[in-house]
Amino acid sequence: MIIREQMIEMKKRAWAQRYLLLMLGLLLFGMSDVSGQAKITQKNIDFIAYPDFPEGNSTWGDIGYNPVYNTVYIGVTNHKNNIGFYEYSVSNETMQLKGFINEMAHLRDYQWQGKIHTKIVFNAEGKVIFGTDGGESREEYLMNHPQGYAGGFLMSWDPENEKLTNLGVPMQYESIKDVDVDPETGKIYAISYPQVHFITYDPKTNEQKDYGRLGSAHVPRVIFTDKWGNCYYVDWRQRLVKYEKSQDKLIFARESLPAFEGTPGGFIITGITAYAKDTGSNKIYFVTYGAKLVELETQEHGIGKIRDLGAAFDFVDQPLWKPYIPNLNLGDNGKLYYFIGGHGNYVKDDTSVLMEMDPATLKKRVVLEFPTTEVSEVTGSDIKDKAGNMYFAGRKIQPKRKDAPESLPSIGDKLSIPFMIKFNPEKNIK
Amino acid sequence: MRFFHLFIGMCLTSVALSQQIGEKNIQFIDYPDFPEGNSTWGDIGYNPVTDAVYIGVTNHKNKIGFYEYVVSKDQMTLKGFINELAHLRDFQWQGKIHSKITFDENGHVYFATDGGESREEYLMNHPHGYYGGYFMKWDPEVEEMTNLGMTMPYESIKNLDIDTQTGKIYAITYPQVHFIIYDPNTNTMEDLGRLGSAHVPRMTFTDKWGNCYYVDWRQRLVKYEKSTGKLVFARESLPAFEGTPGEVIITGIKSYTKDDAHDVIYLSTYGAKVLAFYPVKTGIGSVEELGALYDTEDIPLWKPHCPNMNLGLNGNLYYFIGGHGNYVKKDTTVMMELNPKTKVKKVVMMFPTSELSEVTGNGVRDSAGNLYFAGRKIRPKNAETPEGLPSIDDKVSIPFMIQFNPEKELND
Amino acid sequence: MKNLLLAVVLFGTHLTAYSQYTFFTPEGSFAIEASLENTDMVRLPIYRNEITSLSVVGDYIIGGTSASEGLSPFVFTASLEERKMTEIFDLSGVVDGQQRIRSGFVKDEKGKLFAGTMPQNMESSGHLISVSLDKKKKIVVEDFGVPVIGEGIYALTSDPTNRVLYGLTYPSGYFFSFDISTRKAEVYKDLAPSEKVRFSLEDHFSVTAEDYLSRALIADDNGLVYGSLPYGILFYFDPKTKSLVETEEELPEVWGRRSLGQIHCWLKTSDGEIYGANRADGQLFKLNTATKKIKNLGKPIMMSGLAGLAEGADGKIYGVAGGYPGYGHLFSYDEEEGFVDYGNPQFNMVEPGIEQGIAWRGYQMETITASEDGKYIVIGEAEALSQLMVFQVK
Repeated sequence: MIIREQMIEMKKRAWAQRYLLLMLGLLLFGMSDVSGQAKITQKNIDFIAYPDFPEGNSTWGDIGYNPVYNTVYIGVTNHKNNIGFYEYSVSNETMQLKGFINEMAHLRDYQWQGKIHTKIVFNAEGKVIFGTDGGESREEYLMNHPQGYAGGFLMSWDPENEKLTNLGVPMQYESIKDVDVDPETGKIYAISYPQVHFITYDPKTNEQKDYGRLGSAHVPRVIFTDKWGNCYYVDWRQRLVKYEKSQDKLIFARESLPAFEGTPGGFIITGITAYAKDTGSNKIYFVTYGAKLVELETQEHGIGKIRDLGAAFDFVDQPLWKPYIPNLNLGDNGKLYYFIGGHGNYVKDDTSVLMEMDPATLKKRVVLEFPTTEVSEVTGSDIKDKAGNMYFAGRKIQPKRKDAPESLPSIGDKLSIPFMIKFNPEKNIK
Repeated sequence: MRFFHLFIGMCLTSVALSQQIGEKNIQFIDYPDFPEGNSTWGDIGYNPVTDAVYIGVTNHKNKIGFYEYVVSKDQMTLKGFINELAHLRDFQWQGKIHSKITFDENGHVYFATDGGESREEYLMNHPHGYYGGYFMKWDPEVEEMTNLGMTMPYESIKNLDIDTQTGKIYAITYPQVHFIIYDPNTNTMEDLGRLGSAHVPRMTFTDKWGNCYYVDWRQRLVKYEKSTGKLVFARESLPAFEGTPGEVIITGIKSYTKDDAHDVIYLSTYGAKVLAFYPVKTGIGSVEELGALYDTEDIPLWKPHCPNMNLGLNGNLYYFIGGHGNYVKKDTTVMMELNPKTKVKKVVMMFPTSELSEVTGNGVRDSAGNLYFAGRKIRPKNAETPEGLPSIDDKVSIPFMIQFNPEKELND
Repeated sequence: MKNLLLAVVLFGTHLTAYSQYTFFTPEGSFAIEASLENTDMVRLPIYRNEITSLSVVGDYIIGGTSASEGLSPFVFTASLEERKMTEIFDLSGVVDGQQRIRSGFVKDEKGKLFAGTMPQNMESSGHLISVSLDKKKKIVVEDFGVPVIGEGIYALTSDPTNRVLYGLTYPSGYFFSFDISTRKAEVYKDLAPSEKVRFSLEDHFSVTAEDYLSRALIADDNGLVYGSLPYGILFYFDPKTKSLVETEEELPEVWGRRSLGQIHCWLKTSDGEIYGANRADGQLFKLNTATKKIKNLGKPIMMSGLAGLAEGADGKIYGVAGGYPGYGHLFSYDEEEGFVDYGNPQFNMVEPGIEQGIAWRGYQMETITASEDGKYIVIGEAEALSQLMVFQVK
């Protein structure tokens, strides 16, 4: 017991020392650049507003880059019943509202959708695929009720003809929390909420297959695919589950993903929060809800090799499993970039931090900091254009002041303003 | 594959038979590649833009084949199945297309789906229950189906029409008889409420201004007046024969066909009366009685069953009488010709019900003057009946398209 | 922990609204990880673990599973005291070609469990099996053979007083009796659904034999055995006259849904009362065995289906209602209180590798039973990976 207490004390000291160094760095290099490495400043980052939807107050991971059209797509919601579908043209640097999901997909009022919670993915022809989500308390409780949730839809957007196709409801009353697509076959993978069913759907044949429930009381939010079109998820033990395409079956990792000692069960069952792919090396980096960075070396058959990359953030005196990181991108420089903070969980008071992590050396640093009134939460996984610009879906929350204009979007008693983040660690983009 | 099975003997059994019209004026065209397809119901329409006829053929359970008949090629093709084309899941099963098939100015095809089964109405909100009918749009150019969504949950859509000027869809739901207007361009839907009693009159139709017509439970015309966005009700019921039972009144209009050149719409009621309706842009318009659909047998005048009507280029109305166990001659379907100007009518052909048992379809005429109907034949099953033939209950039930031209020979 | 989980749920769902409910998580409740793929631990593999038969003998939960097409089911045990799985037994080791043990377990006069199986295809037949534990508490399964060739065993009950099992076959709906001592079956086909009835139900209402054959049977204190016929008509078998009787009584109906009428489950309470449920709409009812009349007690929840009932030591009846395409609720009923809807149970699961405990929420709950003293209520799931959920009755 004494040894354990001593170790805890030593760890605390080590955290304190690291944070002192960090603060020293901040003093020496200014608030925005805290290391002696390549300087990343506010000029490397841009915040881009979503026009023509004043009540749009949120986004959640529903962002993706389409290499065929060199565009980024984002779904912005009013968190109630209206989702604006946006296209950002990288070459024109223009953000445009293409329409509202309910209107474009011919949904009726009783088929209200709270948000797009899935990533936005693309098939080989550049058609845009995503799923919709109830995103509201009324979703789950009012099932089978006139005001209840009819279920989430799979959708496909054709950028050429600007046409949205409703690909149907995989499961009645269930939301779709994430999707991915096998670019070779066009098959869509999806995860339902709250019953955590893993589903495959082939839009060409209308064949849907339900592989059943894979989670416990929480739905891990993220699925991802490898270059062969296999799809990955986690079970309630945070073990990787792979849809092995060649066999059309699920295979389960024998061991759970690495987790810090003391990680609560509630953080285990929530799985992976974000990922980014290194397509050159077939490696996929991801971060768990328990704030651990992990490298998966994918292979066509079998689960692949796992490497523990350590903590997402270990500069302050708080449990290592605690930081909240629902985003991850990989720069052309081979480094991972992620924002920490959101949902009231910040590693620094009222501050979101942008981290850089080198998976080769395991070194990490804070590269930028933002007050939560400017960046309060960031989502998005693996969104990088051909020029190496990375994209995230950001949001800022500010207290409503008496003089705040009525027209500003809000959630509860706070202003909530979503925007897209464009970031390039090696280029001045402003 | 096509088949000719008209029996000259049968054609010559009536003294009222036309001298000019014979078996060469009609042909029955099969629906290929859907062996279990056993029925159609009024879901037929001619698209002038593509010069093609579209038909929905159902297995009367959960599968609807969508067919295109290209007139110039004389070719019937299965374009796909509605559930697959529209990305419907099993719980969104559709029993049939009960609506007409109609078109906008660009040749896009519109129709609606229907539960069409006992399980539709009673099992609402049940795992086996009916989810509701959908509006659908088919783009013939890119061969793509767009699901335009539902009207009311659990309700079928019995008929629809389109205002070609605005693209707005008019529809009638089943069983609650709601009149619905849906604009696919803006995704706005307006429910103008219940208009019927215990039965849903099946027919809506439009005039040249894009107004839409229906009937209430008194068989009074109800018009959706486009210019005001309101429903206008006729003061008087449509003419009916004395003794017409209430349940025949509440079922409204059964068939219609338009004479665009003369601004006349011909109607037949469920009470077997033929009417000429003269629409006006605002207000209900006037109605002229053209007499009984059929009056040469000793049966009540309101009784004959006629869910079809077409207008030939010769100005004569053509319709088949019989179906649902209701025939003016025992086990015989008769085809009638009626001259609306002279009100003279005659039997032009007769068919045993084993060859033609029921015919639907309204106002389906191509640019060459060929008229189209959706036909079906029912035969008892016997020991020799091949297993592969489609059936309904204990009878073989084979649907086919009828092409008819009173003035031209269609087959050699 | 509960607060933490709620926080996690709120995190993930990005909710700002207040929840309108709390999960049913009574003190002393726990979940047992019964199924897990790719492990050396005692766990059922994926797609072979729907817990469709469930009983408790002493400290041991005994389960029988249903598998996906082409796969064999298991019998398994779990310890209530140790809160863990203790053994799994692949049925194909005793009876090959079986897919489901869905009849539920019934007891003979010595407390030995019997169940019926459903074959993987109709070229095989369902078997009667017995399940018991030896002195070392190891599972012993014995094959009692095929009561009706070419048929599966859909429902089963027993009359412990005369060592006879009674069953209903699938897909034909034949009633049979089976003498445990002589291992002889007698088959009664009088009330099996006619071709006409089958055609009407299957063609017009798209239901299958699974939807119109009685899913359960029950014997009253006089030895009469009750079940349902198509359209929810009550029948009984009189062992004295060896005859089947079609009554004029029908299961409680929600208007227009008679074609879905089907016994979903029965419960005979310790005082001999018989309760049943109509799967069509999930009505609970009480059967007066003297008058053969049914009293409709109503629906515990909005959804249809009521898969199981169990009697707790507190005198309440606990049940699981609802399910796919929605998800099930746990409820209780007693005459004083009426129905109480507890919603989804959510219990803590502590197992090797997840010692800190994780929350398990019940959605598709297929079976429910009580321990012999009625102090534990055990729920079995029917999922791709099904678990056991246990709570204690105060």
